[in-house]
Amino acid sequence: MRDHDRKLYLASLTDKLVKGQIGRRDFLRTAAKLGLGAGALGMGVQRAPFNFVSSARAQEALQPSPETLKWVADVSKPFAGTTLKLATESTPPSNALNSQLKKYFEEASGIKVEIEVLPLEQVLQKLTLDVASSLGTYDLYYIDQSWAASFNQDVFDPREQLQNAALAMPNYNIDDFLPALVDGIAMYDGRMVGVPYDIPIFIMIYRKDIYDELGLKAPTTMAELASNSKAIMEAKGPAMAGIAGQMKSGHYSLECEWTSMLWGHGGSIFNPDKKFVGNDEQGLEAMAYWTELKKSMPAGVDGWTWDGQGQAVAQGVAASMLSWGEFFPYFDDPTQTKISGLCEVAVPPAATSLRTKDQTAFGETPGVGHQGGSTLAVSKYSKSPDAAWIFMQWATSADTQALITALGGGTGPTRTSVYDDPRVKANARVGAGTTRHLPIVRETIANHMGSEPDLPEWAQLSSDTIPVALGKYFSGGYASAKEAMDDIATQVDDVLKG
Amino acid sequence: MSVAQVKRIAISDSPWPWLLPLVALLVVFTIYPLVYNVWLSFHEFAPRTRALKFVGVANWVQLWNDARFWGALSVTFVYFFVALVIEIALGMAIALLLDAELPGFGALRAILSMTLVIPPAIAGMMFLLLQDPQFGVVTYVLNSLGILDKSTPILATSSTALAGVLLAEIWQWTPFMVLIFLAGLRSLPTEPFEAAMIDGASSFQMFRRLTLPMMSRVIAVAVLIRGIDLFRVFDYVFTMTSGGPGTTTYTLSYYAWQQTFSFLKWGYGATLSLTSLVIIMVLANLFLRVAKVRW
Repeated sequence: MRDHDRKLYLASLTDKLVKGQIGRRDFLRTAAKLGLGAGALGMGVQRAPFNFVSSARAQEALQPSPETLKWVADVSKPFAGTTLKLATESTPPSNALNSQLKKYFEEASGIKVEIEVLPLEQVLQKLTLDVASSLGTYDLYYIDQSWAASFNQDVFDPREQLQNAALAMPNYNIDDFLPALVDGIAMYDGRMVGVPYDIPIFIMIYRKDIYDELGLKAPTTMAELASNSKAIMEAKGPAMAGIAGQMKSGHYSLECEWTSMLWGHGGSIFNPDKKFVGNDEQGLEAMAYWTELKKSMPAGVDGWTWDGQGQAVAQGVAASMLSWGEFFPYFDDPTQTKISGLCEVAVPPAATSLRTKDQTAFGETPGVGHQGGSTLAVSKYSKSPDAAWIFMQWATSADTQALITALGGGTGPTRTSVYDDPRVKANARVGAGTTRHLPIVRETIANHMGSEPDLPEWAQLSSDTIPVALGKYFSGGYASAKEAMDDIATQVDDVLKG
Repeated sequence: MSVAQVKRIAISDSPWPWLLPLVALLVVFTIYPLVYNVWLSFHEFAPRTRALKFVGVANWVQLWNDARFWGALSVTFVYFFVALVIEIALGMAIALLLDAELPGFGALRAILSMTLVIPPAIAGMMFLLLQDPQFGVVTYVLNSLGILDKSTPILATSSTALAGVLLAEIWQWTPFMVLIFLAGLRSLPTEPFEAAMIDGASSFQMFRRLTLPMMSRVIAVAVLIRGIDLFRVFDYVFTMTSGGPGTTTYTLSYYAWQQTFSFLKWGYGATLSLTSLVIIMVLANLFLRVAKVRW
């Protein structure tokens, strides 16, 4: 049986096991016929809420391609015994690599990989200290899209690394990465700051049962989003709110929600003259809309980041959210929530009007589907850059990405081919580790994606200046939205002046 | 160095051979970081060039003009005074109560000390959950008593956020005051109290005229230790509010941490830390003089 057919058959088999159509014994027997040993069929994965590795346990049987591992083994011989280090946020690829996949790389290569999973702000601290001291403590950098400008000179451009034919993975195909992501996450000032590693993006997630009960349809406009949320709040509140938000003062999540509202009302953060224009007519319209929408949110929303927002939907406290698509597999997992199968997805509501990229600055691209995401890159200060490059290619290859997604990661793949991979498609059903939301994620990336500006000061502006002032506004610290936005404009000017 | 020389040093009357290791440790772990911090406060880290650049007194000038610094300073002082006053008052009241040898009070003293072994960051996380607007017990009780409106999240409302953080602080550290005061009460002589009782003094008179004056040194030490700790508050703010909403709960330590580690402004972060150190030193010395504490 060809490897491709074997994988496809195994995927359909595991799907049947998850759906309960075949028993564990039948699954094991058939899997054994496919040449899989008992060790490969271990069923002991642990899962904590929102660590983004699904409990689609049967999918553990999925293994990396033997051809890819053979290449890893061949090319890694000079580096056996090396230890590589990566500090990363808790994201689907990192969690899947760390908990389930890196062992295959380590066995094949003889290279040990240590992955530190940390809160995002601590990743930034470690990364900063590493580049400032040039110590090379970390061989690979996890670079959030908002840091790309700051660290673009501290990493190798993967396009240049690929020129080294001796270390280049066959069929790595850098053009397979979704062009919109390469532009939105990885490019700064002509340099490619790593390759797109993960892509959380805002999509519309809503409780279909509640929507059906109240005769509502998935919102296609910002106005419908507001009216639907209000209708649910009136019918079900306060036990169930219309929509959940991520509005913790001073947290990056609040800035993410703000940009979605701003872009959705025809506004932008900067104009072509590099001036903050969140305080213009469209910006204030967005604030008025958002302030009104907040009335359809639960009381605790001011203290929530995306975690609280996701939990609100998972626990039935809110009926919808315009937020990161990677929450969806968690919502669909019957062992984790009571809303498995009750949620549906849709592309984000259309903006009232949308500015184009040339009407903004610093590469800002308005779109209601706010894009997060990160790149993976080899540090220029690494003492083992070649070994790190081998690992990076393997970790971001189409085969590994398909495994990460099939294991229930939830985030959208960053490669075009992975969306069509049979192992990924086999999971497109209700249940743990579902991928049934990925077509919507793909469409959102292609047509509705909004990207934040790229500038070195953006880390401070997006994680402090803007969300602190927004938090102050929502807690009554400003007399009006205009005063809040004008204050932000002044502060942004100060930061940009240095 | 010859063996004879080593022997000569070892039997000499000079204290330096014995003090030198400790002095070296002091220099490495205290003097050097302090001097480096001062040096850093006249520089700023430039992320683009990955180098420290001399900026003269710019960081100190910025401090003077930084509205957020003054806000953080005032929040720190409010936090300091409110927590200290409540912890002293509650601590003394509970200590006086526990000083009576009633059945079960021994166990109660042991239970009280348990809060001290919880790391402040964990206590902060506990109180974050306790004050959750959806399922927090504290929120539920306040809602039930009509003290708090259901739509008011404690930690996300300007008027209540600092009180929410203070609740965790006071819960965790009042027992520390209780233990210190209790030890002080147990060490007081009994004769003055017996004499006062014979003279017909009331309990309140005895407390005001005898207990408080005799406990003043103990109270002063407790105030000094807790006061320094309170001025450096970080963990509760970090875990419960991240300084928000807006800048309502920004304290000096949190602000210094944020500037240093989040925004890579190492020079300004050092300036803020030094400012905090100077304020603590001045306040502590003033207090020592006023309270006439002798070590």
